[in-house]
Amino acid sequence: MTLNEFMKKSSVLEPQNYEKQIKVALLSSFTLKGLLETISVKCSNLNIGCNKFEGGYNQFSQEILDLDSNYHKFKADLTFLAIDTRTLLGELFFSPYEISDEERRIFIEKKVNEINNLIHTCQLHSNSKIIIFNCKVPIYSPYGINETKQQYGLQEMICDFNNKLLKISLNNPSVFIYDFQGFISKFGDKNIFDYRQFFFGDIQIKFDYILELADELIRYVIPIMGLNRKCIVLDLDNTLWGGIIGEDNFSGIKLGTKYPGNAFVEFQNHLLALHNRGIILAINSKNNPEDALKVLREHPDMVLREKNFACIKINWKDKASNLREIAQEINIGLESLIFFDDDPINCEFIKKALPMVKTINLPKDPSFYSQILMDLSDFNLFQITKEDQLRGKMYYEEHQRDDLKKQVISLDEFLSELNIKIKIRDVNDFTIPRISQLTLKTNQFNLTTNRYQEEKIKEYKNSENFIVGSAEVQDKFGNNGITGSFIIKKIDSKIWEIDTFLLSCRVMGRKVEQALMSYIINKAKNESVEKVYAKYIPTQKNQPCSNFLNDFGFEKDNDNWVFFSEKPFKFPKNIELI
Amino acid sequence: MSVPLSELTDDSGPENIDSWDSFNGLLLVDELESKFNITFSLEEVVDVKSISDIKRHLVNHGVSFE
Repeated sequence: MTLNEFMKKSSVLEPQNYEKQIKVALLSSFTLKGLLETISVKCSNLNIGCNKFEGGYNQFSQEILDLDSNYHKFKADLTFLAIDTRTLLGELFFSPYEISDEERRIFIEKKVNEINNLIHTCQLHSNSKIIIFNCKVPIYSPYGINETKQQYGLQEMICDFNNKLLKISLNNPSVFIYDFQGFISKFGDKNIFDYRQFFFGDIQIKFDYILELADELIRYVIPIMGLNRKCIVLDLDNTLWGGIIGEDNFSGIKLGTKYPGNAFVEFQNHLLALHNRGIILAINSKNNPEDALKVLREHPDMVLREKNFACIKINWKDKASNLREIAQEINIGLESLIFFDDDPINCEFIKKALPMVKTINLPKDPSFYSQILMDLSDFNLFQITKEDQLRGKMYYEEHQRDDLKKQVISLDEFLSELNIKIKIRDVNDFTIPRISQLTLKTNQFNLTTNRYQEEKIKEYKNSENFIVGSAEVQDKFGNNGITGSFIIKKIDSKIWEIDTFLLSCRVMGRKVEQALMSYIINKAKNESVEKVYAKYIPTQKNQPCSNFLNDFGFEKDNDNWVFFSEKPFKFPKNIELI
Repeated sequence: MSVPLSELTDDSGPENIDSWDSFNGLLLVDELESKFNITFSLEEVVDVKSISDIKRHLVNHGVSFE
């Protein structure tokens, strides 16, 4: 599709007809017409309605600094701020050497402060995530090869500006730097920039590359709408190694330093890197388990090993049933899965049987596998926490817990063997991302399913009328990390209301919820609160906690549940609060 | 520009068609260039006041209208 076609398609879209909607604003110093239109069409392909706002030409400062501006009225979820190098440098663009290097440093410092001021103002009045484009480093300088010998010359100025932008975003969870310089590097300035379009209408990106840019920016929409995927399911033959283990045998499969083996090793290395940052891996293969597991356990050139996989299905059942079981065992939705398989028939079948799974049909040549994986935008998240990075290890520990469960007779015995310890703390700056993440993705043990971005959690943290808490759960096998959270609204000095009470499915069934609620009631008692209200809002997925309030001892009061703090309650034995 | 073919005449141009602005004009140039495999000069792009002007430039690049 051409840009023209995207724009035509965009003009007939009606965002209000979509269940999921997002508000995207674009503030830029140069013409980026067509970008938002393309993004909105790509959103519609993902069933998201995109409400667009484009700031006036080169009016980005005014749109942000004027609190009555249309930008502020729009109330964006996502704001893209794109300032081009020419506008940034102004008169210095052609020859910054008219002033001294010290003056050049001061100039860049001033520009960074201006951006900081814009961000600061924006955040005071908006909850939007702000994505700032960094600046294209000029590839031409009047000094030619001598440019790199200059003290704080033209190129160093922009590199320094870009570095200072990065520092701003490191300290500010709502600000992200989009590597526009990287984008230019990826596709080449010679391809992207056309003087004719620039002179005609200040267009600095050729139309075809506006489409590529839209593809890159969609990566910010994915996590805001919760469309990121969490698990990669892999076939084995001709996916993780060349050949078919059942036919070529252990020494006949292609895996190693020579082509095509090296292409598979590269693919495995990229998969391992994703696993190490929190993406779950699983296997779905039609094979004799002993043959395939032998490769996984003993082949010297395998990069991925058994312990890297949260779930392994090697059998002769149909691949769709396996995928369903994988989703169930890992306790995630099918829409969180990406499935890689080299067999087009398998892929067609899965696409029909399980359309919510993203199925990737790998081509015949494994040279392409790594790039296909790297081009996926489904794993993008705004925050990656310690819990994410330890996720792989946690699944392995979970298998060990399961093994213990099989040995033990009663639930109580099992729980006492586990030595569960819970650390409940008030929210702090470090735990805000994890708490927000839990509210966004926890579905099963979630009383009210209120979804909160980091900015909202921070608001509650800073408010005297709210208590936000986290629960870190450990047992004898390891630390699950922060897997529980609650938000309490103080209605007045005698009445509290539980706005949010949730538990990650990973720690369900161990009376952790009882311990958490006991903690809350105890806290209420200590602060002379008489009544604690709670609500259970049923959804398709939160059946598991439907009886919790009743079982704990809450009483029904019309649409609410209430616990009178004078009433006795039982703190679960076998659990220690630390 | 979403204007039905029947409404276009040789005199149609940015002056009398609302949706024909400079950006859409460039989109049109882009489509024509890739469809006919030619490249217009900036001078030619700027020298367009009507459809007949476009036809003239296309003819200069070897495109014929039968």
